[in-house]
Formats: sequence, C-alpha cells, structure tokens
Amino acid sequence: MRRGSVLQLLGIAVLAAAIASLFAIFIGWLPDPASEEAKRIHFVYWFTTVICIAVFSVVAAVLAYSVVKFRAGPDDDSDGPPIHGHTKLEIVWTAIPAVLVTAISIVSAIVLAQNGKAGANPLVVKVTAVQFAWRFTYPNGKSFGVLTLPKGRHVKLDITSNDVIHSFWSPELSQKQDAVPGQHNMLVVTPSRTGTFPVICTELCGLGHALMRSHVTVMTAGGFDTWLKSGGRAGGGAPGLAVFQQNGCGGCHTFKPANATGKVGPDLDNLKEEAAKANRGPLDKFVEESIVKPEAYIAPGYTDAMPHIFGSQIPPDKLKQLVQYLSRGAK
Amino acid sequence: MTVHEVQHEHAPAPRATGLRRLLVPGWLRIFWVTPLFFGLGLGLPVLIRWLAHWDPVWKGSVLVSVELVTTPLGFLVGLGGFDYWVRYASGRPTLPEDHSGHGAHSWRDYFRINTDHKVIGIQYVVTTIFFFCVGGLLAMLFRAELAQPGDQFFNPQTFNVLVSNHAALMIFLFIIPAFAGLGNYVIPLMLGAADMAFPRLNALSFWLLPIAGLMLIVGMVTPGGGPSAGWTCYAPLCSHQPLGQVFFNMGVQWAGASSIMTALNFLVTIITMRAPGMTFWRMPLLVWANFTTSLLVVIATPFIAGSQFFVMLDRVLHTNFFEAGGGGYVLGYQHIFWFYSHPAVYIMMLPGFGIISEVISVMSRKPIFGYRLMALSLMAILVLGFSVWAHHMFVAGMAGWLRVPMMVTSMVIAVPTGIKIFSWLATMWEGRIHFTTPMLFALGFLSMFVIGGLSGIYLASVPIDIHASDTYFIVAHIHYVLFGGSVFTIFAGIYYWFPKMTGRMYDERLGKLHFWLTFIGFNLTFFPMHFIGLQGMPRRVADYADRFADVNLFISIASFGLGASTLVFLFNMVRSWAHGAPAPGNPWRALTLEWQVSSPPPVFNFDEIPQVVGNPYEYGVPGAKHAIFGAPTPAPVPAD
Repeated sequence: MRRGSVLQLLGIAVLAAAIASLFAIFIGWLPDPASEEAKRIHFVYWFTTVICIAVFSVVAAVLAYSVVKFRAGPDDDSDGPPIHGHTKLEIVWTAIPAVLVTAISIVSAIVLAQNGKAGANPLVVKVTAVQFAWRFTYPNGKSFGVLTLPKGRHVKLDITSNDVIHSFWSPELSQKQDAVPGQHNMLVVTPSRTGTFPVICTELCGLGHALMRSHVTVMTAGGFDTWLKSGGRAGGGAPGLAVFQQNGCGGCHTFKPANATGKVGPDLDNLKEEAAKANRGPLDKFVEESIVKPEAYIAPGYTDAMPHIFGSQIPPDKLKQLVQYLSRGAK
Repeated sequence: MTVHEVQHEHAPAPRATGLRRLLVPGWLRIFWVTPLFFGLGLGLPVLIRWLAHWDPVWKGSVLVSVELVTTPLGFLVGLGGFDYWVRYASGRPTLPEDHSGHGAHSWRDYFRINTDHKVIGIQYVVTTIFFFCVGGLLAMLFRAELAQPGDQFFNPQTFNVLVSNHAALMIFLFIIPAFAGLGNYVIPLMLGAADMAFPRLNALSFWLLPIAGLMLIVGMVTPGGGPSAGWTCYAPLCSHQPLGQVFFNMGVQWAGASSIMTALNFLVTIITMRAPGMTFWRMPLLVWANFTTSLLVVIATPFIAGSQFFVMLDRVLHTNFFEAGGGGYVLGYQHIFWFYSHPAVYIMMLPGFGIISEVISVMSRKPIFGYRLMALSLMAILVLGFSVWAHHMFVAGMAGWLRVPMMVTSMVIAVPTGIKIFSWLATMWEGRIHFTTPMLFALGFLSMFVIGGLSGIYLASVPIDIHASDTYFIVAHIHYVLFGGSVFTIFAGIYYWFPKMTGRMYDERLGKLHFWLTFIGFNLTFFPMHFIGLQGMPRRVADYADRFADVNLFISIASFGLGASTLVFLFNMVRSWAHGAPAPGNPWRALTLEWQVSSPPPVFNFDEIPQVVGNPYEYGVPGAKHAIFGAPTPAPVPAD
C-alpha cells in the first residue's frame, strides 16, 4: 500500500469517527440517571460506545475508500490481483476484536456485581404485578399503586407476579427485572436524586400492557420517613381510588374521576346507563357482580376478556370501597 | 437395455379419464380427500368424547388442535405427497420413475408435487415473497396505529395480533424458507449434481409451507381473537389466549417440519452428491453456509416444536408444564424456546453470509480473502450459537450465575463474525468492483450488518441489556440484523440468480432504484428506534407516552416509504420475468458451476457430469479453472 492511500484511509476514518462521536454526544440517548446503578450502567454504555465508534470508523473508512477507488469502468473486464489471504492480517483481526470484547465483558461483569449489592440494611419493598397494575408493599404492611423511595438508601425490590410475566422498569433508574409468577426476583436500586419518574411494564402481558404504567417518586430520606409514618398520605384521594389504582382498573377502563383512559373494556363513566341496560338489580349490586363475576353480564360489543381473579384478589372491605367509589363517580 | 425400453420408461403415465381422474394426485383429488380428513378430525374426537361421556362432546380447543393436523394431512394426501411411499410401504409395486414429476412446462406445473429442485426453488421463493408482502402490510397497519399516541385504528387485541403475526410471518414464512428456496435452486447446481438427494421429500417440504402460512393468517381472524402473545409466545400468557393461539402453535409446527426436512435434504445432498473432485475445501461458501445452517436446523428446530406442543398441552389438556400454580416451571418455556430461537438467528443469517461471499467475490473480480477461515468461522458460529441462548433472558429471573458466562460466549461470537466482515472488505480491496444491484445489496448488507452487530455488543453486555431489554432498542437491533442483514442478502441473492432462474435479465435501473429506496427507507425507519428505546419506550405497545409522539410519527411515515419500495421490486420481477432480455448462461463471468450451464439450466442440470479441478473463486489467477466438462474420466451413469 502506498503512503498516500494510508493517509487518505486514516483521514476518512477520523472523519467517520468524528461524525459518529457528534451523533453519540449531541443526541441525548439515555435519560438522566436517577440511581447509582444507572450511573454505572451509563459508564458501561459509554465505554462500549467508544470501542464501537473505533470499530465502526475503521470499517466505514475501508468501505468508503473501496467504493470510490476500486470502481470498475463500464467496459473493464479485467480481474483484480489474485490475493488469497494474509495470515498475519487474519491473526490481527481475530485478536483485536477478541481483546476488545474481553475488555467490555470484564467491565460489564464488575458493574453487574456492584449493581447487585444491596448492602447490610436495605429497605425491602415487595412488588406484585397483576394484569395490569403494580402493587408496592412496604415493611409496615401498607401497599400502594405508586412507588415511593428514599434518596441515597439501598432498596431491594422483591418482585413477583400473580398471573403472567410482567417486567418492572423505570428508564431513569435503569434497573429492570421480570416479574414471574411463582418466583421472587430481587432487584437493587439506590436512588440518587429526588423527582418523579415513570414505571412501566416492558414484557407483553396482555390487552392492557401498554397502559400498565405507574410512577416512582424519590424523596429525601427525611421526607420518606415522614411519608411512611403518616401512612402514605401522599397517595391522597378517596380510599376507593387507591383500590382502583392498585388493581390496574385504569389499564382497561376509562373513568374520569381517576384520570383513567383505558379503552379495552367499557367506559365506567357510563355505569348508570349500562346498569339500566343490563337490568341486573341496583347499581352497586351490578358493579360488584361485574367485578367479582365479570362473565355474568358482558356489555354489548365486548368479549369475556376481564380477568376472573378480582373476586379472590380484592379483600371484602377494599371491594366495598371500590364499589362505592365507582357507583358514586358514575353519571 | 434397448432404446425402445428406455423411451417406454421415460414416457409419462397415460392420462386418466372419467371418474378415475378423481384418483390421480392433484387438485381434483384434493377437493374430496381434504373434506374427508376434515370429517375424520371432527368425528374421531367427538366419538371418543361421546363414548367416554365427557362433557361437552363438542370442545372447540380440542377439535381445532386435531383439525390442524388432519386437514392439512388430507390436503397433502390429495396432492400426492405420499403416493410413492404408501405404495412402497404397503408392498405394492412402485411406479417406474417416469420423470413426469420433473421440470415445469406451464404455470400449472408449479401447483403440483414437483420433484425438480429448480421448480421447488422457484415455488419457495415466490411463496415466501408473497408472505413477505403480507407481513409487511401488517407492519404498515400497526405503524399507522403508532403514528400517534392513544387509540386510533385498532384495539389492543388487534394490535397485538398484528405485531405477533408480522414477526411470525417474516421469520417462519419469509426469511428462513426464502434461504431454503434459494439454496434449493442453487446448491445442487453448485455441487454438480442432477438434483437434491431426496426429491420427493423436497417436494413435500415445500408444500408444508403454504399450509403453515395459511394457518397463521387464518389464526388472525379466528372468532374470539387471534394469537396475540408476540412471536415469542411466552408462557403462561400464551396458554390463556383466545383460540387463534392454537393456529399459531400448530402453524409453527408445520413450518418447522418443513425446515427440518429441507435441512436433512441439504445435508445428505452436500455430503454425498458432490461432483468428482469437489472436495469440502473446494465447495463454494454458499454451500458451506447451507451446510452449517442445516446442522443448526436439524439440532435446534425440534426444541421450538417441543415448546409449542407443551404450551398447547397446557392449554388443551390442562397439563402444567409452564403453570406456576400447578408446579410448572415458568421460565422453562423461555429456556426451551431460546435454545431454538437463538440458533434460529444464525439460521436466518448464515445462508446470507454465503450469498454475500458469492456476490462480493464475483463482483469484485477477486478470490475470497481467507477462504478457509471464512468456512471455519461459519463452523465456529454454529458451535458458539448453541451456547448463548440465555442472553435473551438476562432480566428474566433465571439463575444468576448463568448471566456472565452467557455474556462472554455472546461477546465471543463477535470474533468469527468480525473475521467475516473484515475478509469481505479485504476481498473488495484492490478489486474491480462492478456496482450491479446484487453488489449494492451486498454493500448495503455489509454496512447495515456492522451497525446491527455493534448494537448487538451493547445487548450482550448484561448491564446495558438490563436497561435496553424489551425496549425499542431491541426492535432497532433485530431489524438491523434481520432486515439490514438477512433481507438485504435475500434481495442480493434474488437479483444475482434471477438470470439463472428465469432465463431473463432483470431491469438494472429499477433494481438500483429499489436498492436506494429500501436502503434510505430502512435507515429512516429503524435508526430512530435506538433512541426512543433507550429513552424509555417499551416494545409491543399500542399506546405510548406523549413525549415519543414526534419520533413515532417520523418512523411511521418512513416505514410507509420503505413499504412502497417493495412495489418497485415486485414490478421489476414480474415485468423482467415476462419481458426481460434473454440471459446468457454466465452474465456475471462467475466460476461456480451453476453459471457453466444454460439459463435456465437443462431439466437434469448437467448434460455431462463436471470434473472439479480447482477452487471456486480463482478470479485473476491466469488459466485457473473450477471445473472442466468432458473430462476423460468416465461419467457415472445416472441411476434410474
């Protein structure tokens, strides 16, 4: 190879690397990290990105150079030089990628080990997924439909599911874990800044999957203690609303008082009209039956898609609150 | 043997007349045998349930499961897929081979059991392109839904059905069988063989394919709802889906059976039917690629068959393979599924590697750089491919210790893959590159597959995968490897062998237009998905957070452009097949054997058996030959 072509190749490679780097830096690829684990994951991400940009630039340079320089003329019937291989070169391009991926593996393994450490005294929160809602239960037995966490403390999420597989993820916290029925999976997060971030389900879990969303609110350590002692009043609202949220009713149903916009099942704002049409007794009886035994009456235009589990899943007192809440809110 | 006897043996059987026509294999027989088998599938379970006093006598899920075996079987019996074997097995004299099942003289010959590998190859390719179009249309339907957040056109059930079937059709009915089709056409020719080792099995394996495709499509419109648990069909969600799910479970079985039969056929053909002088180290890389792919198929595909049967049993017979409540092992499904479906990624990629090796070497007019290492890296991917399945399960909650070893093996696969990429680049270096349509697709593949490979490194790293798993980053990655990778190589292969298969040249200008529209549309559609994925948009959602609205609208518009680019391809193919300029035997001045015969080749491929004397890629080597015809060695007499 002539010196000129080496320089040209190098020039294209540097240009490609520069363009790729601009892409990498100026587009905000990752959300702002909100946990120690997320920061470490971001480090692995950038470590890998540097290596990938280097590899990409080399390939892009050789490709671009070849496309421009080795183009055959329209009537060129000649063949190229009969080069069959080059043992040293082949060893080089076997060895270098092997070294690079080993480096990424080592960094990844170290970060994985660190991200699994919960420390001596973690806060343990039980996470139960159901179609299509999250329930977060604290050591004092209180449970909520949204997650509240203290800043700067190791939190161990004990994740399970009551029906199918779901997956717990908050993009800002970065950590993700599937919720598997019959199995308790642990996930460690250490929130590093206060704020409210989305929690979503990332494993296809049925009709309401897209709307199986919640929030995680990170408070200061002091604020969190106060919140927990006060019985989690931050949730606020009618007691029925909490039941509504914990059981994920909003994943499928529209209900204005709860800001729910699901469209899988009937609109609960029209409950009164619906009850009249169904003609199955007074409103609250109809509502209760529809929750406990949804197959008893199916609104026209819908199928028997509602899970039959709520009768056993919701305790009687909570059920009463929910029925009251729905019947009052209905027009 | 006298001339008279030979003619008698090769003459087609006399045409049947009157009612006897109903007994001849073909569509007339299909029209009465299929309903007969349908009746059997209906009658037997009902009879058994009635005799055993089981309630209800009519049970939908049981009947559907049985029917999806018996009805297609009836179709195949009617078509004549088993005639020869039934005669043989029942001790009756088999029909003398009259070769009437070989070759195609009119379009009708494509709609019967045809034992000619060239006809079967074209049957495969045309059928798979049909399913490619159906799968693409489904994608555009749900991209329309995703153009805006909220519900527009489809309810979540329909949306999930569209997503699930888009993936299932593209994987099981397009990419995997499209490679089987191209291989079917090309490999016997490349080996210097007259046909595949088992022509009747070959014919049967093709006809399982439309059955599988039809099953998936009918499943979508089944009363009660179609399969909507994604193409991965995770238990226990899929065990509690509407009836359409059974169509999915069984459709995958038929496609898988077709795949296994073809792979066995390839293996035996490649091992036993190479022309004299064609040693393993003289085989074209496409043959090497199909050899390794077939090994993968034969070893891995039974696992997905198992996973789908278990799920179906859980559903129909209330077994508890994957039901936590009954003591089942929920994650067992994923282990079994990915033990097939990760090797399946290589089943969908290695034949493409083979195609690219052919195209790049021929179009650059240079020998393949590092031929032996290229073949060995295929074998390395084959072996490593079986040790990485659990990287799909880093967040699934499987045994914690399994994560780091699976990460390391996944990373190591980058090494043989890198060898291939660098060797292709080195093959082009100092070549005389001809930018024909197949070469453009090969270059498109090379650049896109590098991006897909690099995003694969991110996903192999457990911590990054924990963040990116089940988001649009995954969607972007798999489309860079399966569309930018596999589909580009399929297009390269179709354009490259189009002259050989049809005897006509395609329109080069339309081909280039197709490439550029696809290349640009592809990148505009899938590159932004990396971004929304890392930012927090999960995959398989009908509705999403408002902050992703702009990017999704952009992606949807780009995807319609990408879809429209296929019209250029279809138009080019149809018009060129009908009116294209006649193709010479060897338009690319290639050395491999399929180009040393006429386009299209004679019915039995070679008028005389070639003698292989050298390597297949000796471009630029003065006086080098891959094979010679009319060699002094006595050609073996083809067995009757």
